[in-house]
Amino acid sequence: MSQTITIDPVTRLEGHGKITIQLNGQGEVENAHFHVTQVRGFERFSEGRPFYEMPSLMARICGICPVSHLIASAKACEAIMSVRIPHTAAQLRRMLNLAQMVQSHALSFFYLASPDLLLGMEADPRVRNILGLAAAKPELGRAGIGLRRFGQSIIELLGDKRIHPGWVIPGGVTEPLSPEKRDKILAMIPEAYAGIDMALDAYKQIADRFKPEIEVFANFPSNYMSLISEEEAIDFTDGALRLIDSTGAVIEDGITAARFAEVIGEAVENYSYTKFAYYKPLGYPDGSYRVGPLARLNIVKHMSTPKAEKQLAEFKQLASGPVSSSFHYHHARLVEMLYGIEKIEEILADSRILDKHVRATAGVNRLEGAGQAEAPRGVLHHHYKVDENGKITWANLVIATGQNNNAMNRGVEQAARHYVKDGRFTEGILNRVEAVIRTFDPCLSCSTHAFGQMPLEISLLSADGEVVDRLVR
Amino acid sequence: MGILMTEPKARCLILACGNTLRSDDGVGPALAAWAEERFRQEPEVRVISRQQWTPDLAEEIAAVDSVLFVDASLKPPPGRVRLIPVSSRVDTPETASHHLTPNQLLALTRSLYKQIKSHAMLLTVGVSSTELGETFSAPVEAALPRARGILEKAVLRFLGK
Repeated sequence: MSQTITIDPVTRLEGHGKITIQLNGQGEVENAHFHVTQVRGFERFSEGRPFYEMPSLMARICGICPVSHLIASAKACEAIMSVRIPHTAAQLRRMLNLAQMVQSHALSFFYLASPDLLLGMEADPRVRNILGLAAAKPELGRAGIGLRRFGQSIIELLGDKRIHPGWVIPGGVTEPLSPEKRDKILAMIPEAYAGIDMALDAYKQIADRFKPEIEVFANFPSNYMSLISEEEAIDFTDGALRLIDSTGAVIEDGITAARFAEVIGEAVENYSYTKFAYYKPLGYPDGSYRVGPLARLNIVKHMSTPKAEKQLAEFKQLASGPVSSSFHYHHARLVEMLYGIEKIEEILADSRILDKHVRATAGVNRLEGAGQAEAPRGVLHHHYKVDENGKITWANLVIATGQNNNAMNRGVEQAARHYVKDGRFTEGILNRVEAVIRTFDPCLSCSTHAFGQMPLEISLLSADGEVVDRLVR
Repeated sequence: MGILMTEPKARCLILACGNTLRSDDGVGPALAAWAEERFRQEPEVRVISRQQWTPDLAEEIAAVDSVLFVDASLKPPPGRVRLIPVSSRVDTPETASHHLTPNQLLALTRSLYKQIKSHAMLLTVGVSSTELGETFSAPVEAALPRARGILEKAVLRFLGK
């Protein structure tokens, strides 16, 4: 008799999802799926709204990465307006996006992943959480809170709100940076460096303990895609997309927002509300690819800041080509946080950063526009069509979690096949299956464009579909 | 500690939780807004209102002597106002990464910052509806004056006034 294991809800995620593992009559894993079970509908209810409202509307998709939505949306609007925003506005937006990346990565690493990493995958689930982490490693807990505060304080200083700041608008930003705010941000930088240095040291000390997990946590050849600058450096806000294969060879380069829909398609599977993005010339699922911190570090040649450059060189030593295990997303996140702090410091040293000219204005000059940016979890693409009055007639959003969807499902199946034997599993085994998903740090609310909690569920089903066992957290 | 941290003079933190778009669930933020106004001239009082109590707030709690949590509660009868002490003993083994209980927040503060608060209380108002909406049910509306009075008295006691 075959069985199905259900993990529902999957915990320590941004949103609500579940995992099902189908076993055959011999108790071996037949298949495994990660289901995103919430649905929203932002694309539909934005129809009829004036295009200039879109950044504020779209930012409400997410409370963790609203800044990326603001920026991708504003860029799509600027394509409709046919304007180029002032240099200072571009730099201020870049700083805002980096601040969001730092606070989001800190949440992922310290609050969501660290209980597994620092207390162990087999630790008692009653202590394998933020409280257990704080009791065992208080200095790291404080560093995590400090890095979250660093990012959120910058967002609040620039946009007046920690979440959903309205400061980014089509054409630039609403207010220039004041010298007082610049100095406040600069004053926070030393503590941020101390926090990320401690986290990198701690991670490198424990990473070797996870060699078995590194082997089977979504560890397979795949394509990768991210933004990259003209200098082939990491860039969260500008540049164009590059797609590479599992050997590191470039499949396609210079994918601008305007060309995105030409080359990227979205497939649908009947077990998830999140779509599955793929590179059209290779078809689905062969054209599937990974995005986010792992993809970015696999693709870029440089970080453009000295401390992160050194960390990138070390990261690239993990493999002879692209680093393929999704476990290394954790490491990549830390490198990116360091980059974010350095880059913010660099941006604040820009001689034009206090310029007052931070906004370009125009009306509707094109009836279609697209914009893209790197969200903490990967590439984010917004694409709108408007009528001659500037009202939205159609919108499509391609979210990082959708672009990682195929890899997350393959990763869950890989780990389940490795760990679940003879139909037997323990809490620690199921935690490892969940932890595969956590490496990607998916944002399920974003990916379905909901409202919901963070929980995860694992179910064990019999051959005839009956639920034999279920783990709910 | 960072630049947006609690003002050095603040000794008492009012920490409210709730969603103003969910009818009675907005009672915490409503009481926080009232407290903000009531203690506007009082630098020793700081008010924070959030939709969730996240782990980050441990740092804010560590910076003050006393904390008053304010929240809606589905357990007591609608309109019932309760003020109970909060300890740092963790009451539930399950810990969400995005939302902590007052006990869990105090436990986190104790672990991270080696701080135990001299006063920690939870003020709750029993609610009847958490459906979408921006108005309170009649029992919660009627309970607001009493809730404000209890909040004010508790804060003044925390401050030794």
